[in-house]
Amino acid sequence: MSASSLYPPTLRREPPVSSRRWFAYSLFALAGIGLFFIPAFIIRPFRHQSPRALLLAMTLRQRAPLGTLIAALACFILALVLWKTASRWRKSLLVLTLLLVTFSAVMARLNYFEWMFHPIDGAQFVAQADSKLDAKQMIMAVRIGTEARAYPISQMAYHHVLNDVVAGVPIAVTY
Amino acid sequence: MNGRMLHFYLAGINNQNFLMRDRETGTWWQQITGKAIYGPLQGVALELVLSDELTFGEWRTESPSGQVLAPVVKYTKEYDSNWEPDVAKLPVVISFPGTELKSRDVVIGLTIGGAARAYPWDTFAKQSPILDRVNGTPVLLVLGADGKSFRVFVSRIDGRDAEFFLRAPESATDSNQWNLVDASTASQWNFQGCATSGSALGKCLDQTPALKDYWFDWRNYHPETTLYKH
Repeated sequence: MSASSLYPPTLRREPPVSSRRWFAYSLFALAGIGLFFIPAFIIRPFRHQSPRALLLAMTLRQRAPLGTLIAALACFILALVLWKTASRWRKSLLVLTLLLVTFSAVMARLNYFEWMFHPIDGAQFVAQADSKLDAKQMIMAVRIGTEARAYPISQMAYHHVLNDVVAGVPIAVTY
Repeated sequence: MNGRMLHFYLAGINNQNFLMRDRETGTWWQQITGKAIYGPLQGVALELVLSDELTFGEWRTESPSGQVLAPVVKYTKEYDSNWEPDVAKLPVVISFPGTELKSRDVVIGLTIGGAARAYPWDTFAKQSPILDRVNGTPVLLVLGADGKSFRVFVSRIDGRDAEFFLRAPESATDSNQWNLVDASTASQWNFQGCATSGSALGKCLDQTPALKDYWFDWRNYHPETTLYKH
């Protein structure tokens, strides 16, 4: 038997060009995945953030939409090239990381906080007589000029932020 | 900002306060301070608009023609009219052991000339009206007749420091009437800080912004805050 047939194909040493490509692929995949997941991990509702962690999260989140897109494209191109010579487990790894990188690129362009707390689309205001609020319910009251508006806290505690214009003054109502 | 209207959207939670971004520049803003903390407009502060936390009933009597935000029908089940006790049960991510208050104790927070002071709600509710000084400015904290609405005023009439007290109700039927009186002119003042009778009639006190907040949140964003104790 010749020496080469004793080695299963997966243990053959890969040519240097291919291992550089795998290295590049790993870098792009980590970057693409990290750009979304690191900020998402840092900015979690019941987790304390230090000022440095918050700064990192914002820095990454700012660059994420473009960064994840570039990383995803690079990964796909590299994956196509690497596919032919990849073993079965490496192919699975490629598929898994491509899915994650795509997921990151999509999520980096979406605001999932607004899935948890939907913004108000087209705020409507009614006269007091038409409101079903109980007299004891708390509201945030604003008066600008002669215009008085009330924002019920039970609603603002869910939506969190509302852009409004009162007597010509643009305000952001937050809770 | 410089004549350009900004539109804000929810962008994250930060130590149980929230972060928002504006669509125009993508700058990140801290909700509780209104300051831009990252991005093109970093360092800019939004101007605080004076607002009151009142009961709907109290607001109705004061501003009968005012309009109220209508609930969005598809989110009605998300609105929790019982939110106060429900939120009070949520975990807290930052706490200040060793301070006299518990994390979810409610306080009224004021900042005057950069000095911050917190008034425990329970103390305030029992002692209202509270006269105090913050950074040299005399302040008057008052609880509305409904026991839930509150306002804070600068306690000065015509530039002179003034003292206020609640006059005892004159009769049994009077017990729900709000009788705030100033010590020097004995004029009657209403919950909006304006004199309704007496020699000060027509004058109004300047209102100062105040925030009803949880102790942990107030203390986190105002580390130098003093605490009202009595």
